[in-house]
Amino acid sequence: MKKALLAFALALISVFTLVACSGGNYEIAMITDSGGIDDKSFNQGTWEGIVEYATENGKTYKYYKPREVSDTAYLRAIKLAVRGGAKIVITPGYLFETAIYEAQTLYPEVKFVLIDGEPHTADYATYKTEANTMNILFDEHEVGFYAGYAAVYGGLTNLGFFGGMAVPAVQRFGIGYIAGAYYAADDLGVTITFPAEHYEYLGSFAPTPEAKTKAATWYSGGVQVIFAAAGGAGSSAMAAAVEATGSKYVIGVDKDQSGDSTSVITSALKGVGEAAISALEDFYGNTWEGGRTISLGSVEGGVALPADFSRFGANAAEVKAAYEAIFAEVVAGNIVVPTNDRASLGAFLTNLGVSNQALVDKAEPAPAA
Amino acid sequence: MIFSTTFYDLLGNTILTMIPLLIVALGAMICERSGVTNIALEGIMIMGAFVSVWIISRLEWTWVDGVKVYWANTNGEKSLLLIIGFIIGGIVGMLFSWFHAYAAISMKADQTISATALNLIAPALAFYIARTFIGGRQVFFNTSFMMTRVGFLADIPVIGDIFFSRVNAGLYLGIIILIVAYLFVYKTKEGLRLRACGENPHAADSLGVNIYKVRYRAVLISGFLAGAGGFLFSISTATSFEGTVSGYGFLAIAVLIFGNWKPFRILFAAFFFGLMTTIGAGGNSIDFIRTLGLPSDFYPMVPYIATLIVLSFSSRSSRAPKAAGQIYDQGTR
Repeated sequence: MKKALLAFALALISVFTLVACSGGNYEIAMITDSGGIDDKSFNQGTWEGIVEYATENGKTYKYYKPREVSDTAYLRAIKLAVRGGAKIVITPGYLFETAIYEAQTLYPEVKFVLIDGEPHTADYATYKTEANTMNILFDEHEVGFYAGYAAVYGGLTNLGFFGGMAVPAVQRFGIGYIAGAYYAADDLGVTITFPAEHYEYLGSFAPTPEAKTKAATWYSGGVQVIFAAAGGAGSSAMAAAVEATGSKYVIGVDKDQSGDSTSVITSALKGVGEAAISALEDFYGNTWEGGRTISLGSVEGGVALPADFSRFGANAAEVKAAYEAIFAEVVAGNIVVPTNDRASLGAFLTNLGVSNQALVDKAEPAPAA
Repeated sequence: MIFSTTFYDLLGNTILTMIPLLIVALGAMICERSGVTNIALEGIMIMGAFVSVWIISRLEWTWVDGVKVYWANTNGEKSLLLIIGFIIGGIVGMLFSWFHAYAAISMKADQTISATALNLIAPALAFYIARTFIGGRQVFFNTSFMMTRVGFLADIPVIGDIFFSRVNAGLYLGIIILIVAYLFVYKTKEGLRLRACGENPHAADSLGVNIYKVRYRAVLISGFLAGAGGFLFSISTATSFEGTVSGYGFLAIAVLIFGNWKPFRILFAAFFFGLMTTIGAGGNSIDFIRTLGLPSDFYPMVPYIATLIVLSFSSRSSRAPKAAGQIYDQGTR
C-alpha cells in the first residue's frame, strides 16, 4: 500500500514537472536571484521595467525562479527559459556571473542582459563577455555619495551604515556614503562622527531581532542616521528609528522607500527598471550591441536621490539645492567618487585631511594574505 | 534613574527579543507536556504573523471625512491594537496547528513529519496569499507598538524604567501567560491530566482520561501561543512582515529544552537567549563592554558560545516528558 502511494506521488510529481517544462512562447525572460519579483529591490525593479516595456510593445514575458541559489539551479532556470522560447534573458544580480559565463556560449542565439555583474569563471580567473551578452553596472558609489552628502548637509552628523552582505554593489554604496559624508563635513566645516563600529555588513538581507537591536543600540549611542543598503534588514533599522527617542533616520536603498516608514529621510535610487527597458529597446530596435559592459551613473540618469526632500524639515530647500549642485559637479567630472576599493577611499579621505583608517578597513576588508 | 541609560537600553532590547521566545516556548511546553512534540512552531509563527500583521495594517487606519487617518497614537490605543493582533495571530496559529494535531493525534502520523510539512508550507503559503491579494510579499504596518511612559507607573524608580517605559504591551501579556501557564500545568486537574498524558498515557487512559482530547487541546494551545508570538516577533522586529521569523520558532524549541520543560526555567532561558542576542548585536556600542577591548568579530559569536557553555552544564539534568513524540495508540500496551 505504502509503495503504491509512493509510486503514485512520484508519478504526480513527474507529471507536474513535465507540465512546467512543456515549452511555451515567452520572448522576454527574467531569472530572479535569491529575492522574488516583489523584493522591493532590484528584482522587483527589473521585473517592473520588463512588464512596462512588454505591455507597451505587446511582447510576451515570463519570469523563472531558480530552485535555489546555485550556479546549477541558475543554469537550469536559464535552460528552462530558453526552452520556453526566450530570445532575451535578463538576470539581475552578481550571483548570475558564473551561470551567464556558461550560458552565453551554450545558447549563442539568445541574448543575455546581466545586471550588477560581469560574467566570469567560478574561480574569477577568466572574465569573458560574448557578443550576445550585455552587462549593466551601476555607479552605486555615486548615489551613496549623495546620500552621505545630503545627510550631513541636512545636519545629521552622527552616521551609521548597514550593508546586507559585503558584495560589490553594497560595498560601493557604503564607500560612496563615507566619502560623501566626509566631503560634506569638509564643505561645511563641521565634524562628523562615523566610527568603524557603526559600519556593519550584517550577513543577511532579512529583518532580524539582531539587526533591530543593533540599530537601536546605535541610535541610543547617538547615531542619527543609518544608511541601510540591506534589503529587508532595513525594515528593522526603520523600526528601531521610529521607536528611538529623538529624531532618528534611515536612508533607504534601490527604490524610494519613503512610503515604508516615516523615518526614511531619503533613498539611494538605482534605476534597474530603466536599465532593463533600455536593454529591451536596444534588442527590439535592432541596435543591440553586446560583448560590453555599460555602467549607469549620474550622467546616464542611472542613480539619484528622490526629488522630495521634505523629510529634511526646515533644511529641505537648502539640502535640495546642495544636492543638485553636487550632482552637477559629479556629472561634470569635477568630483571623482571613490568606487569599491579601499585604496581610492583612503586617498579620497586623505585629500580631505581625514584619517579614519579603521572605517576604511571595515568598508572593504583587506584581502586575506 | 539609578542605573545608566545603557543599562535600560540593554534590558529593553532583551525584553523585546525574549517575549516572543517566552510565549512560543510556553506553548511548546504545554504541547510537549501532553506528549506531542511540536517542531512546527516556526511555520505556525509565520502564518500567525502574516495574517495578523496584514489585518493590523488595515485596522490601524480609519476614514475621517474621506481622508485616511492613522489612529493608534496613545499607549492605550497602541495596546488595544496589539491585543487585537495578538488574538488574531493566536486564532490563525490555532487553526494552522490543527493540521498538526489531526495528523499526529487522529491519524497517528509521525509527529516530526507532519510538523515539518507545516514548516515547509507556511512561508510559501504566506507568499502566495500575499502576492495574490496584496500584490507583494511584504506587508507594511505603520504602528510603532512601543509605549512611551505608562502614566504614574513609569515614575517608580528602576521598576518604572524597566517595566513601564519604552516597552510594548507584549511584556504584560507574556507575564500573564507565564503565570497562567504555570497555574494551569501545576495547579489544576486539567494540568495534572496533561502531564500524565505526557508521561504515561496508558495509565492516564486506564483512569478515564481522554488522551486524544487532552492532546488536541494542548496542540491547539501551543498553536495559539505560537501564532500570537509570531505577531509579537514581527511587530518588535521590523516595520513590515517579510515572510520570515528568522528561525525563532526553532530557537523557541531550544529555549524549551534549555528551560527543562518548566515555566520559570523557560523564562530564565528566554531571558538568557535575549540577553546574549542583545550583547551579540549591540555589544560594541555598550560602553562597559567596549572597554574590554575585544575584537568586534567576537560579539556576534557571543550567543552561540554562551549557549554551548550553558547547555553543556545544564543538559545533564535535562528531562523531557517520557511520552513526548510517541504516537498514542490505545491498542498497544
